[in-house]
Amino acid sequence: MNRKWSSGIAVTLAVAGVYAYFLLFAQFAFLELLQAKLSGQGLKGVLAMMALGGVVSGFVVSRSGKVGRTAFILAMVGCVVVAWCSSLTDSTILFSILSLVMGCSLGTATVCLASLIGGNLEPKFGCLWVGLGTGLAYGLCNIPLIFTAPPALQASISAALATVAAVGGARLQDSQGRTPGAKSIPWRAILVFGALVWMDSAAFYVIQHAPELKDGTWGEERLWRNAAVHFSTAILAGFWLSKGGWKSLCATAWALLALAGWWVNEPATREWAGWIYPAGVSLYSTALVAWPGLLAERVGIEGRSTASRAAWLFGIAGWVGSANGIGMVESLQRVPGGFLMAAGVAVLVGTAFTLPNWRVLVILGAIGATGWIGLSEKQIEPDRIARGRQVYGSEGCIHCHSQYVRPGSRDEEIWGPVRSPEEVLKGQPVLIGNRRQGPDLSNVGARRSEAWLRQHFIDPRSLVPDSRMPSYAHLFEPGGKGDDLIHYLRQSGIGQIPMIIAKASSWSPNAVAAGSNGSALFSTHCAMCHGEEGLGNGRLAGNFQRPPANLVAGPFAWTPAGDELGLRIARVIKFGLPGTDMPGHETLEDSEVLALRDHLLQLRR
Amino acid sequence: MAFEDAGEGRVTAARHALGWLLVANAVGVWLSALLLWPGLGRLAGEAGYGRWVPVHLNLQLYGWTSLPLLCWLFGIYQTGQSKWAGPAVWGWSGALIIGSMFWLSGKTTGKIFLDWSGGSLWSLIVAQIVLWLVLASAWIKKRHAWSKAKRFATGLGLLMLAAVPLMLVIATSPTTYPPIDKTTGGPTGASLLGSTLSVIALLLILPSSLGLVRKSPSWKWLWWVFGAEFVAFMVLEARGGSHFTLPQIVGLGLLLPWMGWISREWRNFEWPERSVFWKRSMLVWWGVLVIAGWLEFLPGLLDRMKFTNGLVAHAHLAMAGFTSSFGLLLLTLLGGDKVATALSRGGRLWNAAVGLHVLVLMICGWLEGGSFSWIEGQPPWREVAFVIRLLCGLVMLAIAVLWWRGSLLKSDES
Repeated sequence: MNRKWSSGIAVTLAVAGVYAYFLLFAQFAFLELLQAKLSGQGLKGVLAMMALGGVVSGFVVSRSGKVGRTAFILAMVGCVVVAWCSSLTDSTILFSILSLVMGCSLGTATVCLASLIGGNLEPKFGCLWVGLGTGLAYGLCNIPLIFTAPPALQASISAALATVAAVGGARLQDSQGRTPGAKSIPWRAILVFGALVWMDSAAFYVIQHAPELKDGTWGEERLWRNAAVHFSTAILAGFWLSKGGWKSLCATAWALLALAGWWVNEPATREWAGWIYPAGVSLYSTALVAWPGLLAERVGIEGRSTASRAAWLFGIAGWVGSANGIGMVESLQRVPGGFLMAAGVAVLVGTAFTLPNWRVLVILGAIGATGWIGLSEKQIEPDRIARGRQVYGSEGCIHCHSQYVRPGSRDEEIWGPVRSPEEVLKGQPVLIGNRRQGPDLSNVGARRSEAWLRQHFIDPRSLVPDSRMPSYAHLFEPGGKGDDLIHYLRQSGIGQIPMIIAKASSWSPNAVAAGSNGSALFSTHCAMCHGEEGLGNGRLAGNFQRPPANLVAGPFAWTPAGDELGLRIARVIKFGLPGTDMPGHETLEDSEVLALRDHLLQLRR
Repeated sequence: MAFEDAGEGRVTAARHALGWLLVANAVGVWLSALLLWPGLGRLAGEAGYGRWVPVHLNLQLYGWTSLPLLCWLFGIYQTGQSKWAGPAVWGWSGALIIGSMFWLSGKTTGKIFLDWSGGSLWSLIVAQIVLWLVLASAWIKKRHAWSKAKRFATGLGLLMLAAVPLMLVIATSPTTYPPIDKTTGGPTGASLLGSTLSVIALLLILPSSLGLVRKSPSWKWLWWVFGAEFVAFMVLEARGGSHFTLPQIVGLGLLLPWMGWISREWRNFEWPERSVFWKRSMLVWWGVLVIAGWLEFLPGLLDRMKFTNGLVAHAHLAMAGFTSSFGLLLLTLLGGDKVATALSRGGRLWNAAVGLHVLVLMICGWLEGGSFSWIEGQPPWREVAFVIRLLCGLVMLAIAVLWWRGSLLKSDES
């Protein structure tokens, strides 16, 4: 086997072993063993020892000149010892020592491994091997048998993984010569990876501790899927990195994680979040492992610069970023949107731009502080109508609905009566609007009942099958403002009911019935309430205070038999029965109204 | 003006402008997709269509359209050596980020294009004050090297710019609203004339403010005509009226000759080769905009097009067509070599996509105006129009990515 292949395989084993140990033991099994015996401040103290050991040992070893194969193997031996001993003690002190040793071992191992990777592999193929190692680590940890094993067994498996890593490391060559390289702090990488680790850790913690979220994303039945996604994405990441472009990869990882963090909060999209979350994690994790040795500017790869970079990156972005992310969301049940955006800004700044100078930071700080103060302000209107009007503005209803009936136009017939410009301009703000994706709402309170509006806000297409209106169901969750919005819409139009009735009473259709499509029109516009057969038993019938009319057997309280029955029915179809749940169908053409009327006349016994 | 010596402020403004074009276009594509598939909205949680619209509109106006103007101001005031010009642009972008957070969280004034409230309003004002200080500082340092006329004009400009934050506070207040055409609820012909005259003023001063070499004497009488039309605007505004009122129609028609006059006036200058494409594009879009704007104001036409996609088409004609090509012209002249090189690609495709987009929405608007039945149905012509709109949006987004990436390729600061 040539050197390229043997080094690649050795790196793969070392990366897979170290990473899988970290994921399986440091993050899970050790924590569970601890939680079984300790709690509260004691638990946090022990975990703090691990972080402290991880950060400090990384810097110490990077400056000691001892970075290399031997230190890596010794560190792995330390990991094995901790894994074996962790299930043998109940003592807080011993746990603290084990935690410290594990932190030191992992801190040392990661820094040494970064140096060994940089010294043994070239970026082009090295990234592929690192991707394979990272993918194996994630894939292995998500195998159901391992993922669900008892902590003691997971500890044993982890010890075996550390041994594998040591074997891999032993086959790598120490860097020749130890000339000190550039030791500048890799701020850009720290910013980008720190933001990703911070966001990932926060999201992971929230999901892991909210049963509803956990079941919807990585419950036990989804482990194989997660393993496959992790593995394949890490391989893809290795390929991507081998072509260059770690920044675009990190930006993509952020986009995936942010989307997952957003989607996981909603039951409807939680399943999708479960697909893209592991993909985002594997993408950036592969880059994180490869960065110090293969992706950073390769100045002095043989010497201390790689180790120094690794110490800074893993210490600040890894250990501190992770602890910080978890610490900030301990009491939350949802992934906060602010976290996702803040991480996005950090990733954007770190990937797209040169690092800003202090002047930029001063100005952005001043503007950010000004905005932030205002963002947290809550203006609560005391009056219900005003609150509803505020919701109308907040949700941007104005971008799809006008509140202006143009005098002398067809607006007047279907959405009238006209209101005087002076009255319209009294509104603060004025809500005339400039675009209609839906109907004018000036007098909607007279044309639609409270129950109809509520149903339409929650599920628009249940009442108007081809509606483009999005659902506003969230406004009707407990504490929502949907009722205020309905109150505003109702109150602003309810006084117009007599005028609408008068208008309807004088209206006559100006067309002939359009063929035989009455039945289809009934199915589209009426059946959801009146039922397909017109018996008043549509699927939404129970949503209204008074059940919809039985259009076959009656009673026909609003359209009793008599003169001009057809015209009276047509008027009800067109303008509804203002003051009741029966809506008008104002936008139907007269020919369609007549076709529908003919169908209704046929239904009547 | 040395075009090659862009200076940090101008390069930063150009890059940020192109960045905001990309973001605003991406939001536009998202909105187009939501119109076709409203169910997609659940992916964005509580931030529904109505909350994304102000993000799209305001990022186009205050990000994409405004930053090239900032670039121009940096050029006029010669802020090339200022260490605060670039950070001032960052401040502007910071305010836009804050604004976007406000709009997406439902904090709004309810006023289209004047959607700054609370903290977002104050953050924009802070950004404006920083920018003003940068310009004032440059004026103080450089004024003795300038001609008397430039010193006076730029000093006057500073005074006017100082009033902008106050004007913004007044304009964004829910208690203020411009006069309306009572027959449509939209702007009057006079107010359209007034706002367009301010654009004409910018177009008239552009070449000389950039220091372009004059080939032949300018048409000084144009400024007299401009002044007369401004008086006409004030008279018509005071008298009021609607699109059925002849003076309002004639008043708006006063803009029509400017199509030719601006073009002719600009021919008096020597334009750098790299600016020619976007200069021509701008003049074409400007002409189409003026003609379409006047036609759409005529009785019958406005009544049919009001509140329809026809006016959305007009808005895109103005923003994606005229204003964008104007911004692109400024950036090719002022944004430095790398930006100019980046903008030399994709222009024809951009113009084609905008043109098709506008045409399709205009037809759609015309059909919408004939009947309201589309509100509760989905006629095929409307579906097709929305699909074409989405595809055009994707093309524009792809070109915006190309331009932005190109502007970032190498550092261009001098």
